[in-house]
Amino acid sequence: MDNYLQLKDISLSYHTKEGEVLALKNIDFSVKKNEFVSIVGPSGCGKTTILSLISGLLKPSSGEVLLDGEKITKDTSIGYMFQRDNLFPWRTIYKNVTIGLEIKHQKKDKESLSHVDDLLNKYGLHDFKNSYPSQLSGGMRQRAALIRTLCLKPKILLLDEPFSALDYQTKLSVCDDVHSIITKENQTAILVTHDISEAISVSDRIIVLSKRPATIKCIQKIEIDRALTPLKRRESPEFSKYFDLIYRELTSEKK
Amino acid sequence: MKKNKINYSKEHKKYLKQIKIDKFTTLVAQVLLLVAIVGLWELLTYVGVLDAFFISSPSRMINELVELFKDGMLFYHIGVTLYETLIGFLIATVLGTLIAIILWWSRKLRKILEPYIVILNALPKIALGPVIIIWVGAGTGAIITMCILICIVITTLSMLSAFLECDEDKISLMRSMGANKFQILVKLVIPNALTEFVSVLKINVGMSWVGTIMGEYLVSKAGLGYLIVYGGQVFQLDLVMASTLVLCILACVMYLFVGLLEKKVRKHKE
Ligand SMILES: Nc1ncnc2c1ncn2[C@@H]1O[C@H](COP(=O)(O)OP(=O)(O)OP(=O)(O)O)[C@@H](O)[C@H]1O
Ligand SMILES: [Mg+2]
Repeated sequence: MDNYLQLKDISLSYHTKEGEVLALKNIDFSVKKNEFVSIVGPSGCGKTTILSLISGLLKPSSGEVLLDGEKITKDTSIGYMFQRDNLFPWRTIYKNVTIGLEIKHQKKDKESLSHVDDLLNKYGLHDFKNSYPSQLSGGMRQRAALIRTLCLKPKILLLDEPFSALDYQTKLSVCDDVHSIITKENQTAILVTHDISEAISVSDRIIVLSKRPATIKCIQKIEIDRALTPLKRRESPEFSKYFDLIYRELTSEKK
Repeated sequence: MKKNKINYSKEHKKYLKQIKIDKFTTLVAQVLLLVAIVGLWELLTYVGVLDAFFISSPSRMINELVELFKDGMLFYHIGVTLYETLIGFLIATVLGTLIAIILWWSRKLRKILEPYIVILNALPKIALGPVIIIWVGAGTGAIITMCILICIVITTLSMLSAFLECDEDKISLMRSMGANKFQILVKLVIPNALTEFVSVLKINVGMSWVGTIMGEYLVSKAGLGYLIVYGGQVFQLDLVMASTLVLCILACVMYLFVGLLEKKVRKHKE
């Protein structure tokens, strides 16, 4: 499955009263199944826009997005994680995690429910089923947010700077956490981040975008052992080489 | 946020004690102030420095209330006003919230109706009194209508802004999970606005009393507002003051109920 997710020559403009903003220009890439791809680029270049396109929240002005050979529709199962966990404070963790099932009317489906229990057990949230989000630490909340998306067995996970609201120490450990869950669940994931080190530590490939309108500057393959955790990968000898490469791409002025 | 029974340090115990003392002294001062005002009022009217005919006095108010009670009229008038207020309060809150939901749902309708709502909000509702009397008739209906008019616009505006304030990310999240607009409304937007709803209830408690009493000033044959107007006309300050006192107490009780509700709702806010 070399072309699990395909973005074919995508362009997208936002229309506002002030005028037309070209956000994406000729974006063309594909993602393999079970691959972990990161997108880095200057702020405001259009990273979130790309995720919105893949999730079907936005339609491209031209070009098309295919997932598993099909166009994205409202019923395509996509997992979306944001910078903030967006747990609903009035719901218990269990009810937060199962909200997707509620929406899809699978709340009584035995198989789905046992899947939920499985995930909660496996990732250490079972004892907090009946707690409210305000009673959990930032890291645990982000884990709950991830489980919420996994409950729907998404075809792809989209992560929009999911760690940037956490402090540095927590960020490293939550990143390890989330990465290991994603690997164990055999998920395909796309991570948007500002943090080059973070991108290198989790990804198989990194897509570097230019300033707005975003075009792809380069796609860098990261060949560090996938079996290592993100923290271990940070210590590998190739790490700084990749950091330099990507940093140079990001800051170079050429188009 | 777990409530552990920890053995606090001496310093912390002292701190907690200080808070308790603080609370207690405030309460004592509040009670003393009330006693002082009532006592001074009674004393000054008793010795004749102030004329009880013009400003009544605590003992005369009590007497008035006892008289009313003996005639069986006290609870009759309270009942009438309470009924009008509660009905007005309920209808205005429910209807106002429903309108807010409709306006949240349809962006187009919201844009179209915006100027009208602004005007309606700015308009002093009492000015509509005569129109209401002609249209609804000079009776309980007119009073309830006045009460609803006073509460409903502010209810709609507050609830609408609470609905619209819902976090875009959370809405995107719901949509990415395939939620339709109705599900977004019921599972996210409405529960998210619950705290605001309680504030609206609080405002409406006050406003509905204003509306009802205003309505009773305009048209009424019974109720606390009627007693106040009637007392004023026949220069019976005791009746006016006694009725006002009852009104105070009723409004407080209703406010306390909403306060209890608020405690329940606030429990799980971020
Ligand atoms: N709804 C919108 N209407 C108009 N313009 C928009 C809208 N959303 C985004 N834009 C513009 O499109 C550009 C790309 O936005 P986007 O949010 O995708 O950037 P980003 O790379 O995710 O930025 P950040 O690093 O700040 O998260 C920005 O310049 C932004 O101003
Ligand atoms: Mg963004």
